[in-house]
Amino acid sequence: MGAIFGLSIRQLTGRWRVTLILLLAALPVGLAVIINLAAEGDAAFNEDFTNILLDGLLVAGILPIVTMALATSSFGNELEDKTLGFLTLMPVARWRIVLPKVLASLVISGPLLVVSGVIATLLGFDGEVRPAVAVAVSLGAGVLAYSAIFTWLGLVTTRALPFALVYVLLWEGVTSTFMSGVDYLSVRGYSLAIMSGLDEASFPALEDRVIELPVAIGGAAVVTVVFLLLGVRRLQRMDVP
Amino acid sequence: MSEPQTPAQAPTIDVQGVSKWFGSVVAVNDVSFQVQPGITGLLGPNGAGKSTILHMITGKASASEGEVTVLGQPTRNNPELYRDIGVMSEYEAVYGFYTGREFVEFTARLHGLGPIATPVDRAIGLAGMEDAQHRKLGTYSRGMRQRMRLASALVHDPQVLVLDEPLNGTDPRQRLDFHDTMTQLAEEGRTILISSHILEEVETLASTILLMVSGKLAAAGDFRAIREKLDEQAYQVRVVTDSPRRMAAALAGTDDIDSVSIGEDGELTVLSRNVTSLQRSIPRLAQDQGIRLKRVEPLDDSLESIFSYVVDR
Repeated sequence: MGAIFGLSIRQLTGRWRVTLILLLAALPVGLAVIINLAAEGDAAFNEDFTNILLDGLLVAGILPIVTMALATSSFGNELEDKTLGFLTLMPVARWRIVLPKVLASLVISGPLLVVSGVIATLLGFDGEVRPAVAVAVSLGAGVLAYSAIFTWLGLVTTRALPFALVYVLLWEGVTSTFMSGVDYLSVRGYSLAIMSGLDEASFPALEDRVIELPVAIGGAAVVTVVFLLLGVRRLQRMDVP
Repeated sequence: MSEPQTPAQAPTIDVQGVSKWFGSVVAVNDVSFQVQPGITGLLGPNGAGKSTILHMITGKASASEGEVTVLGQPTRNNPELYRDIGVMSEYEAVYGFYTGREFVEFTARLHGLGPIATPVDRAIGLAGMEDAQHRKLGTYSRGMRQRMRLASALVHDPQVLVLDEPLNGTDPRQRLDFHDTMTQLAEEGRTILISSHILEEVETLASTILLMVSGKLAAAGDFRAIREKLDEQAYQVRVVTDSPRRMAAALAGTDDIDSVSIGEDGELTVLSRNVTSLQRSIPRLAQDQGIRLKRVEPLDDSLESIFSYVVDR
């Protein structure tokens, strides 16, 4: 499994991809600095910071985009250049191929997003550790669930990236914002609920619109496991070019 | 050259009534054959279904109908079987960031080999790639890449080798080396199935061939017997000279041709069942007669047309 993990890390750390991810990860930090300077003393600062930067930009935007850029490529690139056939002709159980692919996306995007979220939160919350930890855990859960979903998607279609974009924009973005109940089936909903559940006092803006913490943790875990299993099943059943 | 096997020997590869279709397109249609130890050539023109059959044999694709076993076991969803099978697919893509040696080492690790240095050295040696093993795969020529892919397929010392168009991009020297390596491996008792769309490529290598045309098995068995059948068919050769009538008369006096005709453009169309001999006699006749040869070209010696003779038979 270590060999495939190492291979996947090398495949996913191409220069342009890493540069793009670093730029995206830096965005919340830069924005946090600007908001901090511009809205100092503003009564609605906490609410705006939570809704606009943490939810709108980080959880609903950068988290899925960065993860999809990596995870859809895990298998997508191998299918495109026909190297996946090489891996599937090795005496390696299919889950030992899928799991390292998911982990590789997680290991690259996770730390970057978590560090970005933590720094932005520390800036927005005057260095308070608790909200930063809550953001870190919620982003970690989101990266894990998205990695599993998008890795599976990369196996299902050669157009994984556009499909992933549509899913993120329509389901995780528009639908989960305007339709109650969708949060129970949304990675964004799980992430925000975990953030709020771990530190309710720091994120009052989320209090009334998130699902229960245990449901969110369970939902993120179920989504991760289900899509991991779907990925394994897909790799077992598909005709590999 | 590998020894012919006795029919009683259990087949290493057993393909029974296998079909594969993609939507309404039938890629492989009710194909059955068995492969014994030694070298077997899987021949057919491009699009004949060779790669699809090999995908099913190696478990990369499922059969729509029928059964495929290797060493008595189904290959589909049976990763453990790959400990005994070495595969070189038709796609030449490799991980360009690895050096040749790293690539073979990577394969060795996936096979769970213990200390990998010895098998990796052996496989690279068999492929004759010792000198270039520390260069990145991305910098290799096509032929070198093929040879390092062969090393990767050999690193776990498999009993069965399935090689899809392994000679693509190789030069004559590399082909000779490949020939020697395959012969050596076959003599050690391995089963080697090699696909190619070039008849001559496999002619000197495989004692047994499987001919596929349009998704069907057109012929199977001893290479020489099939070749003799092919030789019964007359081939057309176009001959262009500065003196077509004299050339036609000279050709008509030999035993090599069935007929010769002169077209309106002055080009000769020669029908012959002995093309090899004809190829030698045309320049000799031209020289003897003081005729200048402008062009000699076979009109229908493409693999597709040769195979069509077999199929139509």
